[in-house]
Amino acid sequence: MPDAAQPDAAQLGAHSLLIVAWRLMWRDWRGGELRLLFLALVLAVTSVTGIALFTDRLERALMLESANMLAADRVLHTREPAPAEINAEAVRRGFRTAGTLSFTSMAFSDSGNMLVAAKAVSDAYPLRGEVITTQRPFTRGAPVAHGPPPGEAWLESRALPALGVEVGDQVFVGETELTVGAVIIAEPDRGQGGIVDNAGPRLMLHMDDVAATNVVQLGSRVSYRSLFSHDDFDQLDEFEQWVRDTFEGNYYIRDVREESEEVAEALDRAEGYLLLGSLFAVLLAGLAIALSARRYSERHYDYVAILKTLGCTSGRISAIYSLIQLKLAAAAVLLGSVLGYLVHEGILRALQASLQVDLPPPGVQPYAVGAMTAFICLLSFALPPLLALRETPPLRVLRKDLTQTRFSDRIPYAFGIGGSILLILWYSQDLVLTSLLVAGVAGTGLILSLISLVFLTSSGSAGMKAGNAWKLAMTAVRRRRRQNVLQVMVFSVTIMSLLILGLLRTDLIADWQAQLPENTPNHFMMNITGSQVDGIEAFFADNAVDSNAFYPLMSARVRTINGSEPESEGEPGENERGASLVENNQFEEAPAADAEAAPGSGESAEDEGRRVRGRLSRRQVTWATDLPVDNRVTAGEWWPENSRPGLISVDEEYADWLDIEIGDTMEFEINQQFVSAEVANFRSVRWDNMQPNFFIIFSPGTIDHLGGTFLSTVLLETEQKLLLNDLIRQFPTIVVIEVDALIEQIQNIIAQVSSAIELIFGLVLVAGALVLLACVSASLDERFHENAILRTLGAGRKLILTSLLIEFTFIGIVAGVIATLGAEGGLFYLQEWVFEQDFNLHYWVWIAGPAAGAVLIAFLGVNSTRKVVNTSPLTVLRRVV
Amino acid sequence: MIRTSGLTKRVPTSEGELTILEDVDLHIESGESVAIVGASGSGKSTLLGLMAGLDTATSGEIWLDGQKLSDMDEEQRALLRARTVGFVFQTFQLLPSLTALENVMLPIELKGDPGAGAKARELLDRVGLSDRWHHYPNQLSGGEQQRIAIARAFATRAGILFADEPTGNLDTATGGKVVDVLFNLNREFDTTLVLVTHDERLARKCGRTVKLVAGRIAGEEAAAEVAHA
Ligand SMILES: Nc1ncnc2c1ncn2[C@@H]1O[C@H](COP(=O)(O)OP(=O)(O)OP(=O)(O)O)[C@@H](O)[C@H]1O
Ligand SMILES: [Mg+2]
Repeated sequence: MPDAAQPDAAQLGAHSLLIVAWRLMWRDWRGGELRLLFLALVLAVTSVTGIALFTDRLERALMLESANMLAADRVLHTREPAPAEINAEAVRRGFRTAGTLSFTSMAFSDSGNMLVAAKAVSDAYPLRGEVITTQRPFTRGAPVAHGPPPGEAWLESRALPALGVEVGDQVFVGETELTVGAVIIAEPDRGQGGIVDNAGPRLMLHMDDVAATNVVQLGSRVSYRSLFSHDDFDQLDEFEQWVRDTFEGNYYIRDVREESEEVAEALDRAEGYLLLGSLFAVLLAGLAIALSARRYSERHYDYVAILKTLGCTSGRISAIYSLIQLKLAAAAVLLGSVLGYLVHEGILRALQASLQVDLPPPGVQPYAVGAMTAFICLLSFALPPLLALRETPPLRVLRKDLTQTRFSDRIPYAFGIGGSILLILWYSQDLVLTSLLVAGVAGTGLILSLISLVFLTSSGSAGMKAGNAWKLAMTAVRRRRRQNVLQVMVFSVTIMSLLILGLLRTDLIADWQAQLPENTPNHFMMNITGSQVDGIEAFFADNAVDSNAFYPLMSARVRTINGSEPESEGEPGENERGASLVENNQFEEAPAADAEAAPGSGESAEDEGRRVRGRLSRRQVTWATDLPVDNRVTAGEWWPENSRPGLISVDEEYADWLDIEIGDTMEFEINQQFVSAEVANFRSVRWDNMQPNFFIIFSPGTIDHLGGTFLSTVLLETEQKLLLNDLIRQFPTIVVIEVDALIEQIQNIIAQVSSAIELIFGLVLVAGALVLLACVSASLDERFHENAILRTLGAGRKLILTSLLIEFTFIGIVAGVIATLGAEGGLFYLQEWVFEQDFNLHYWVWIAGPAAGAVLIAFLGVNSTRKVVNTSPLTVLRRVV
Repeated sequence: MIRTSGLTKRVPTSEGELTILEDVDLHIESGESVAIVGASGSGKSTLLGLMAGLDTATSGEIWLDGQKLSDMDEEQRALLRARTVGFVFQTFQLLPSLTALENVMLPIELKGDPGAGAKARELLDRVGLSDRWHHYPNQLSGGEQQRIAIARAFATRAGILFADEPTGNLDTATGGKVVDVLFNLNREFDTTLVLVTHDERLARKCGRTVKLVAGRIAGEEAAAEVAHA
């Protein structure tokens, strides 16, 4: 008859199971056993949801903010009007579109004239960001969402005094007369484009007025920009692809990353860091969950055995514990989502100062990500040890030593590892990165466990004579060796994660600050003749502005290398694209490829080839006595003060590309004269610092006599910009390129990204603390019992406390050492391969790591085990029996 | 009610196989009370565990309540336990996270019977602990805990009660009280009782005594003074 009774009993049980599950849970909760597990779960959900929400919104905000730099989401830059189909297709796809046309021109008024960077804009301009205008020069402005209407010209502040006009007066551009309608204080895409957009103050006019000026004719240097905008990021990418496919690479639509290498790098690194941060947060939370679940299940072996003697089947045991977990997870997801929202809201509040854009509201996806993560964590970290409970033999009620010893013992690890891999893959969407990470972690884990095993076994004999507490501690360390190896591993992984993120954060931020420090010169002066140099220096001295070095500037062509025609190896280094402002803004006759401009923006393969040849044949070169700041000699030596002429210094990547070695002789043609020079050294050049940078520098005396012009930079605050008018009036031939707007935008983005990184780090710090706590508590039960027995045997509180202190300090130091080793290794990989930074050893960490480990673990350990000593032994023994 | 034949239990150890029980034939009638005695290590607890279906034998057969235990898997044995078996252990084995009352209610709920609360209260009353129902096991003395365990063992009106040295952890006076409670309830519910003990006096309260020596039954004797015979 048992067959008939079975389903019956199972059915009847459903309700009572729930009751039992509730009751067990409630009591475990009050006893604090479940609380740590719950806390770990909540933390996982909170950090993941918080980071996901934050990243989601920040990414959009950064995209929007950086889109402001383009006044659009995507830009097509051409030298001739772009084909109408492109615009038509964009409109068909629901894009917003606009167009601008830039050219350099003279503007006249009744009382003056000046060179202006003219820019004609269509009605819809700007698609992103706003133009800030006002009625009087150098005053605060208010944003408007459009450009000038037909018949109006808007001028940048300093153009008004230079032309002697006010708002409402007339100015002439070419053959047409325009009314000054407003003063431009800021323009979203002011930093974009080359020299045509940046030489002289801005004069903005309506597209319809361009024809009447008669300035733009066939062959004149103008630049067209077609602007596109859409709120759906995917649509943007699809459109970009469509243009590439349809026009076979002749036209190439770019986003801000492609337009500005500096922003691209900042965004890439920030995203990389956020990803790394959330990964570490999840893994640490997972670790905390695994640890607390393990402890929880260990405490429940006896429960299960008793339940089994009372007739509970394995299925029902699983059901009870799954129910408990489900309820716990549901509550954790709810609470974690709310907390995650609050955390990200708090982060944004803190960021408000530097965030100038309105953030789009968050989607639901981050919450789903948080909940999913919680369930994956639970399934892979918590459920396996709990489900293994079902294997507990009921005979355990008679024989304590019996636990399940079958395969299920290893399952939790397999699940945990599988779950982690799944999470990493899901987060990074990158199979290669995942495999690398898994291989790295597996290798590190193996080495770590070996090292910690050796550390813990060899320690025993060292301090046997050093007194009772020491002896007690060391025997404890060895007795709990396996458990301690686990503990040391958890501690070191946690400390390592924190070290990696902390050091990476410091290095990234320091690197950004070094890239564009506060006092980065923001104006370039070009076309300066030798006789003007002293005058310009005096001009700045009179006006209390610091002047910077003057770089002689000449256009040189490489004729031969060691007597033979140069041959380049493969593609030029990737820095070629961004090169320097100097290289991009060549003022002399531009290389053929550039001037004759293929219809596209010069990105087709054929074009690229032509450009490479152009690059090879024409270089802006300089000569200098001292190594430029931000440059580093990587091979050979910089020439001494009074060096002989005939030496050159070459950018290392450029040298690599041309396959040059130190000691080679290169022959150049400069201003129709041939000059030979010996390669004295290679330099690494910071191309992203927005300063004059050169591929080739001659030693003094080599090319000085060949003429050429000078280039210099100057830092002008907004209120000093009026000086430019006087400067240009005194030295009418020089050209000033204004990059202040661009630099400010980049600095802004970098500031935002830096604060984002700080906050993510803070969140991971909390996760780490929780892991440490979970790990310490995991060993608590045993210590409780042991110390109660020790105390009944007459050991004093002080002895026990000291021994605990020694034990934890020791574990902390070992963990700290391993963590430091691991962190430096991890950083080496991350900085060299992922973040493309220079890796340097962090010497202070070699002391600080182990010290921090010791202090942290000792504090946490002693603090949470103090209870062990402060509760009466009787209570402890009674509870445990 | 319970029958074993040729029951043998061997366990592998580092020094080869160890025989704990060998060829045990035992027959216990419904309503009978049997004491299993023997020296420490003679295999008493092992035999009890096997008869109760907590463990599996190496060879031999066991029938419990008309069903052949040796053919069942752990799931089926658990269901059988839920219906027919109650336990009392030397170390009480109450769930520390449940109150006295909840501990007694637990098997009723697991069995799916209604009225768990009332039944449990009544039993607590019977063992003399009705005023301690809301206390947790660690707030109770050993004797009190054992009485709760006895209440729990009778909660489902199981036909068979297994007790492994129920007084082993208690002083004589307390043990006596516990034994009284146990036998009173046993008589009242007409339960089959299998009791493992060292205690001669306790053994004599049972209808029959089985003596184990080194895993074999060395002798049986009926108690002379069984009153209701
Ligand atoms: N799983 C096992 N592995 C090894 N030895 C075992 C195992 N189970 C029982 N034994 C051994 O078998 C013998 C009998 O054990 P059992 O617990 O049945 O004795 P007992 O008669 O109940 O003793 P006590 O009166 O001390 O409770 C003991 O020597 C015990 O060590
Ligand atoms: Mg025994």
